[in-house]
Amino acid sequence: MTRYVLRRLGRGLLTIFVSVTLVFFIVRAMPSDPVSLMISPQMSKAAQEQLMHTYGLDQPLLTQYVLYMKELLIGNMGISFAKRIPVTELIASRLPYTLVLLAVVMLIVCAIGIPLGVYAATHKGKLADRIISVLVTVGISIFIPFMAFLLLYIFAFRLKVLPTGGAYTPPMKEGMAFVADVARHIVLPALALAITNFANAVLYTRNSMIDVMHEDYIRTARAKGADEKRVVHKHALNNALIPTVTVIGMQIGIMVGGATVTETVFSWPGIGRLIYDSVNALDYPTLQGTFLVMAVAVVIMSFIVDLVVARLDPRIKLGD
Amino acid sequence: MANVVEFKNYSMGFRDDDGAVSNLLDGISFSIEEGKALGVVGESGCGKSMTSLSLMRLLPDAAVVQGGEILFEGKDVLKLSDKEMQTIRGDRLSMIFQEPMTALNPVITIGSQIGECLVLHHPELSKEEVRSRVIDALDSVGISNPERRLDQYPHEFSGGMRQRVMIAMAIINHPALLIADEPTTALDVTIQAQILDIMKRLKGESGSLLMITHNLGIVAEVCEEVVVMYAGRAIERGTLAAIFDNPMHPYTRGLMASIPTMHSDKGPLPTIPGTVPTVYDFKPGCRFADRCPHCKDICTREAPQYRWVGDDHIVACWLYEGEGDGNA
Repeated sequence: MTRYVLRRLGRGLLTIFVSVTLVFFIVRAMPSDPVSLMISPQMSKAAQEQLMHTYGLDQPLLTQYVLYMKELLIGNMGISFAKRIPVTELIASRLPYTLVLLAVVMLIVCAIGIPLGVYAATHKGKLADRIISVLVTVGISIFIPFMAFLLLYIFAFRLKVLPTGGAYTPPMKEGMAFVADVARHIVLPALALAITNFANAVLYTRNSMIDVMHEDYIRTARAKGADEKRVVHKHALNNALIPTVTVIGMQIGIMVGGATVTETVFSWPGIGRLIYDSVNALDYPTLQGTFLVMAVAVVIMSFIVDLVVARLDPRIKLGD
Repeated sequence: MANVVEFKNYSMGFRDDDGAVSNLLDGISFSIEEGKALGVVGESGCGKSMTSLSLMRLLPDAAVVQGGEILFEGKDVLKLSDKEMQTIRGDRLSMIFQEPMTALNPVITIGSQIGECLVLHHPELSKEEVRSRVIDALDSVGISNPERRLDQYPHEFSGGMRQRVMIAMAIINHPALLIADEPTTALDVTIQAQILDIMKRLKGESGSLLMITHNLGIVAEVCEEVVVMYAGRAIERGTLAAIFDNPMHPYTRGLMASIPTMHSDKGPLPTIPGTVPTVYDFKPGCRFADRCPHCKDICTREAPQYRWVGDDHIVACWLYEGEGDGNA
């Protein structure tokens, strides 16, 4: 087990290293120049050079890369070009919002999506299953920004029951009032973000349940005298969840940074919104930082998924 | 002696996607006395497994019961509610399946899969009692080191060992009838012999046995009575001696002739020409008519009735019209 964890850690670090390197060069390959955005032409030549020097932009590309990696090793992600504060601070202030949003999305996906998939599978071919299947297809194929605007139009503009954007209404409140305020703001972005994942979870659970219900060991369970409830919950669900968990888990990792569109539409102050702002401002250090967070999230989630799947399926040995 | 199970003129078939029903089992009748073993033999697809699944009420979704009765301990299982059926299954009536590799749940330990039979039917047993009875059951089917093995998962067992686990599961509640559906078909020959030994030993200890197989050797070794099935009909039934020493139906005779013996000539073994018709191309009349060397005019028009041709021997064939007692 220790050997497995060490090997996984090594592979994870390698993945992160490769992704950081790629992002470093890709960001600099963008067809624009941050210097011209950051430095106004009115500045004196000396002041311009001083600023270039401060951000290391006067160095050759490879030297910049070595410097960046060195600083990264001691936990320094650099200073944001746009906000002029350390990137670590910037990300630390945004990450909680993304995580809260993800937690709500995952709650919807797991607590409603999986049971709904099981229900559809056990009522295969009946009216309820057909309705669910149609809705799932719509959910998977819907264009998320369209969904986001539709939600905004209905709930924020027409019904005026939910706020249009942001994570809270300023001024920031204290204690439970703040929690309640954030909860009101999170509903629409969470719904918009959940819809595709939710539909995927229902679809995967349903299809995998239907496959499992045809297995020989389900017949064995019935032959023992188990009732339908026990057959579904004790014998089928564990087996059916193995592929579903893998898919949902990997989605969470990607969503840490992948909620850019939704977070932007709802002005949700998370990592996705930060990526959008950083691209607009050509803020290299912040972009690199956010992509690093994404890479770490994907590595961590795939590790967690492996642990959960190994727990569900005794045929998978983590040792070797 | 009382019959444990009795099939009375039982028929079933399948509904296809368009709703049309085609008949497979046609008027199956046989019974098993307490403590006796009955073998059902026939080729693949002749309805042997559907016969046993009908008794268990575990038929696939597309199956349709078309008539008749299946009495188990005096009650018609076709009329029982799902709940009543669940109390019988795994307790009074249990079944061993053909495929030991897939018949066990891969994510549950052997111990709790076997123990489940006890937990379901005897909720009053304590955890320790369940555990010790599971150990006894594993021991009785020849699994060494049961205390350690019961915490293992199916993938840690070989095919033969898994079949032993299936047997342990089926016999733990001492059922009145044990159905074994091709219990050795998926195993290699040495393991087959071991499993058969276990089955023979168990037969002495427990209730009745319904052995479904296409292997006449197994029937000869384990069973007292035989039903020969062909294309969904029970074409001949009788005691082991009657069927093996004096086969009447041309199909049974063909089967017997195709078994190699110590005295066989060096020439090729006799075979039955043609193949078994599928459920979609059954014709009126005897379903064996196409392949029968003695086929008469009437065989292709009308299905033959059952006829007593001996004290303990029934056959459905037009060759014996006029012999015996007529309709049995």
